Amino acid sequence: MRLGCDTGGTFTDLVVEEDDGSVTMHKAPTTPRDPAQGVLAAIQDAATARGESLLVFLSRATMFVHGTTHAINAIITGSVARTALLTTAGHRDMLVLREGGRADAFDHGSGYPRPYVPRALTFGIPERIDAAGRVIVPLDEAAVLQTIARMRELRVEAVGVCLLWSIANPAHERRIAELLEQHLPDAPCTLSHTLSPTLREYRRASATCIDASLKPLMTAYLGGLDRRLRAAGFDGRLLVLTSQGGMIDAAELALAPIHSINSGPSAAPVAASHFARLENVDDDVIVADTGGTTYDVSLVRNGRIPYTRETWIGEPYLGHMTGFPSVDVRSVGAGGGSIARVDAGGVLHVGPESAGSTPGPVCYARGGERPTLTDACVTLGYIDPEYFLGGAMQLDRSAAEQAIQEQIARPLGLALQDAAAAIVDLATESMVQAIADITINQGVDPTQAVLVGGGGAAGLNCIAVARRLGCPKVIIPELGAAMSAGGGLISDLAAEHSVVHFSGSDTFDMEAMNSALARLERRCERFLERAGAPSGGRSIEFSVEARYPGQVWEIETPLECRQMRSPEDLAALVARFHAEHRAIFAIDDPHSPIEIVRLIARARCPLRQKAVGRLQTQVQSGPSQGSRRVYFSGAGWVQANLLRLEQIESGESRRGPAIVETPFTTIVLDPGSRLERSAHGSLIISLQG
Amino acid sequence: MSRIALDGARLAILAHRFEGVTRKMANTLLRTGRSGVLNRARDFSCCIVTSGCELLAATDSLPIHVLSGPDLMARAMLDLHSGLRRGDAFLNNSPYHGCSHAADHSILIPVIDDAGRHRYTVVAKAHQADIGNSIPTTYHGTARDVYEEGALIFPVVQVQRDYEVIEDVVRMCRMRIRVPDQWWGDFLALLGAARIGERELLAMAAETGWDTLDEFAARWLDYSEGRMAAAIEKLPAGTASSTSTHDPFPGTPAEGVPVTARVTIGPAAGRVYVDLSNCPDALPCGLNLSEACTQTAALLGVFNSIDTTVPKNAGSFRRVELTLRRGSVAGIPEHPTSCSVATTNIADRVASAVQTAFAAIDEGLGMAEVGAVIPAADGVVSGVDPRNGKPFVNQLFLGFTGGAGAPHADAWMTYAHVGNGGLCFIDSVELDELYHPIRVRSRELVPDTEGAGRYRGAPSLAVEYGPVGCEMTLGYVSDGEINPPRGVRGGDAGGAAHQWLEKNGVRTALPGCAQIVVQDGETVISITCGGGGYGLAQARDPHAVAEDVREGWITASRARDVYRVALDAHGNVDDPATADLRTASGARK
Repeated sequence: MRLGCDTGGTFTDLVVEEDDGSVTMHKAPTTPRDPAQGVLAAIQDAATARGESLLVFLSRATMFVHGTTHAINAIITGSVARTALLTTAGHRDMLVLREGGRADAFDHGSGYPRPYVPRALTFGIPERIDAAGRVIVPLDEAAVLQTIARMRELRVEAVGVCLLWSIANPAHERRIAELLEQHLPDAPCTLSHTLSPTLREYRRASATCIDASLKPLMTAYLGGLDRRLRAAGFDGRLLVLTSQGGMIDAAELALAPIHSINSGPSAAPVAASHFARLENVDDDVIVADTGGTTYDVSLVRNGRIPYTRETWIGEPYLGHMTGFPSVDVRSVGAGGGSIARVDAGGVLHVGPESAGSTPGPVCYARGGERPTLTDACVTLGYIDPEYFLGGAMQLDRSAAEQAIQEQIARPLGLALQDAAAAIVDLATESMVQAIADITINQGVDPTQAVLVGGGGAAGLNCIAVARRLGCPKVIIPELGAAMSAGGGLISDLAAEHSVVHFSGSDTFDMEAMNSALARLERRCERFLERAGAPSGGRSIEFSVEARYPGQVWEIETPLECRQMRSPEDLAALVARFHAEHRAIFAIDDPHSPIEIVRLIARARCPLRQKAVGRLQTQVQSGPSQGSRRVYFSGAGWVQANLLRLEQIESGESRRGPAIVETPFTTIVLDPGSRLERSAHGSLIISLQG
Repeated sequence: MSRIALDGARLAILAHRFEGVTRKMANTLLRTGRSGVLNRARDFSCCIVTSGCELLAATDSLPIHVLSGPDLMARAMLDLHSGLRRGDAFLNNSPYHGCSHAADHSILIPVIDDAGRHRYTVVAKAHQADIGNSIPTTYHGTARDVYEEGALIFPVVQVQRDYEVIEDVVRMCRMRIRVPDQWWGDFLALLGAARIGERELLAMAAETGWDTLDEFAARWLDYSEGRMAAAIEKLPAGTASSTSTHDPFPGTPAEGVPVTARVTIGPAAGRVYVDLSNCPDALPCGLNLSEACTQTAALLGVFNSIDTTVPKNAGSFRRVELTLRRGSVAGIPEHPTSCSVATTNIADRVASAVQTAFAAIDEGLGMAEVGAVIPAADGVVSGVDPRNGKPFVNQLFLGFTGGAGAPHADAWMTYAHVGNGGLCFIDSVELDELYHPIRVRSRELVPDTEGAGRYRGAPSLAVEYGPVGCEMTLGYVSDGEINPPRGVRGGDAGGAAHQWLEKNGVRTALPGCAQIVVQDGETVISITCGGGGYGLAQARDPHAVAEDVREGWITASRARDVYRVALDAHGNVDDPATADLRTASGARK
């Protein structure tokens, strides 16, 4: 038996896969102060549902895969370790200056963000290495020792070391690590050249400091979770989901905890890719994961999940860039809690302000007074006030209607239902723009892609989103409501190793590149060995980051061989780069040489052979029969059939308008769409009827 | 045309979609550009202009590029070319035809419907690494006129027909521009971005119909005008003049160039009036403003003083009445006046004069002066790279600060200059050392150089760098040495710009505007401008002052002498001693 568990902002999701392949889904409220408590509550729920004790249930589990927000929450709330940065003398303001840039040229109220490590804890060390790796100024070890003494006085708990050009020659960073080990042994340290061998000192320094600052608390958290699980009867393997959409052993993660920054959301495209493949979809996949406050978008392009190094914690330019490779997931502030308002000029806005879960939407009747997307969905008949979260919560429809009537319909001069539909339409448009941003950046054409919807609120408007994008098909997997936890069951053991390597296609040094590739391959093999990966499924994929001369933003191009053997191999790589550039940016420069700047190797090994089995749903109580009046812009009020997910057999198909209800989510089918339940349990919705 | 009813919800949705189009254009340009000034410093813009030549959408664009300019360029395209067809594209860099300055190559593409009617113009504009000036810099500060400036000027010249590039123009550029491949790459990137804009608008029209889009444009501009009027109605009535003075450069009077803006807020009329007619006559140098830059700089000063949520487009611009003078240094230039440096130096003085005039009208309005540019840290470097024997020309962006104190917040530190609004990226030291034969010795902020105030301006940045294994030509046009960024409402000035050449440990001062050769082993030390403070330093929250000391922005003695805050041995605020200091300072004032 395997457990996949994701601690989200509101709920902790647990997906249990029995040895016979059958699957169950469980949710418990997230407990931010002690996340392990929420995890254990969800496990208890699963045990209870089986009529087993926690001990018996957990002792059957061979694997526990965890997606955690613990690291990112610690950064957002400022509860990370007191961290110092050691860098090259003369460049102490790396984290202050960042890379410049700003989101809004006219925002004079936000102030300038503080550096991740305060200036007071940033120390310049006399030393300098140049771009070719030559030592220009030798390391001043006496200065390092003085700084260590000062850090001890300042009670520094963790240290990041990021020197200029350590990627070309790591000797100075290594020597500083030795001195730290000797003289400040209690403070964990991260070296930039080992953690994130990448050009651009700010990104490397940022990744290094974030990683160091997380070490004490993630070591404690994972250690504590491990102890509590084992005390409760667990005797299997504890793995953690990484930002790169893979998983690694908890002990390995504790050594580089930055990997868990985007732990849960990165698993969503892994799950989506799996479920799309089950349905024989070869097209690109757009993954939309809708929570209460954010809408997370990611992609699967040509069967691969695209990565980015430009992940921000918090808002772009106001938060911190991790500078660390992560599955490319974009979040917009659009969810069920997004607040709608009409401005003084009579124009409607939805979000980014959110009512969150407290006070929440007006219909929650917990004191929220401003109408939200959820209120609009209640007004339009999409959500049944009696059957929200499987009937766990009673909603106040008339309060929602009244708020929309007074605050939206009246100032816009619209009827109530048109105002509510406008709120849904505008929220849909924000989501569409978020998808457009990521698809243009990654060269995906939405009209040739499939949309996979996940998260509790996905079903409300994912068909509307798909219509606007021109996506012909939507897939909602059975596990859609717990997509990241489901991703935990599907993820591979995975690690990425990379090295900065400069080479022009016109000045190509095959031998140098091959020896760099061979070194990467050995590092990948050592990871797989350490992780005890079964030798059968091991794979190592190579790719290069390259650009045209003069460009500074690289694109990743797969390398379809482990070693470059001939000029033809190089020509093939160059041709793939041109094609990729054209796909992403609509132009290429086929006569230009290309510059390779990084080599990447990704090791992975699946820990499962079979597809995830079918979801076992409990028979639900309460009526979900007949039909209900539902409003669609364009079609007006229509009678929509009410369906329970478990009543739709595989192979059966239904036409919209219809509402499909499950204890975890509601799926709205507009007139003109057609639904079919696949053999794997997914809902496949075609938009062309 | 039939009227199509668009409610406030439809308007919002279409506004999002138009913004989405410009974002797609900008993203393409940023990622595909070849020159540092484009892909590292983000010195570009993408926008959509209506068939009536009104600016509709320009998300994520450099402010000085777009508020005005695209409208003038679109008008020039219509005036100069009849029978526009789908597949046409035009290159414009003429400051006499709506472009900001010759360095900003702009691609204009008319979006034509199936009936052959011109519906919109999409514009993509990017600062080039080189444009074939008489010297290797795109900022020719000392050029007496456009002839000495030397760039090829393209007054809306056709460069594509039926989607095919017209090679004649390409050959001309390749013969004149010092880094032809880099230019070609940027040219392709500009065309790509503009074509993406065209494609998206055609697709949107296919879905919603051109009439709906036209109706949207009309309604959106009216909405924006209404928002602007409402924002102005909330402001107090008043008039103030403010003068911001540019340092003397070759070709200017010895006392520099005073730029005076007279600003009147008319809440009753819902209008702001900006009069620049008192600015001096055009000068025999490259500092003169193009019409686009004069208008934009004035608008920038206004929008820095207005509710930030008011959309910036032709609708809100209707509520700003500008009085410009033909033949003025900050007005409308006559050919062959040189406008080589039009987007920065004098333009920044115009914006500063406007926003400080707002501040003079009432507490809580306007902003202090943003630091001036272009310091030697951000100059154009050229030479021959000893590592590969190839010539290089590129603008470096090793750093800038310059942000000004605002009525309710400290400065945005990395502002670059007022025309940039902080959107510019700063180069990575490693990237610059990889691309150019240079070494950056140091890049750090200078304590005690912030414009002190209730809300402080940015401190100066000190950058030291030089060539490695070769000589390097460096061009820069640094204002702000004699006239550092002023504070407002009692706030102090921010740090001034300075530059030195260091050789064997000896420092020699360099002029503010120069084209110099730096030898191997020598370094240039460039101090960039800080930014002015807003309000009295003695009114700053003492705990914020203590934090400034802790972080090393200011020294404890500056905290005591300027901010009148006393700290105890642990660096915490000593409340009674601070109260004493502040009472005494009140008495002194």
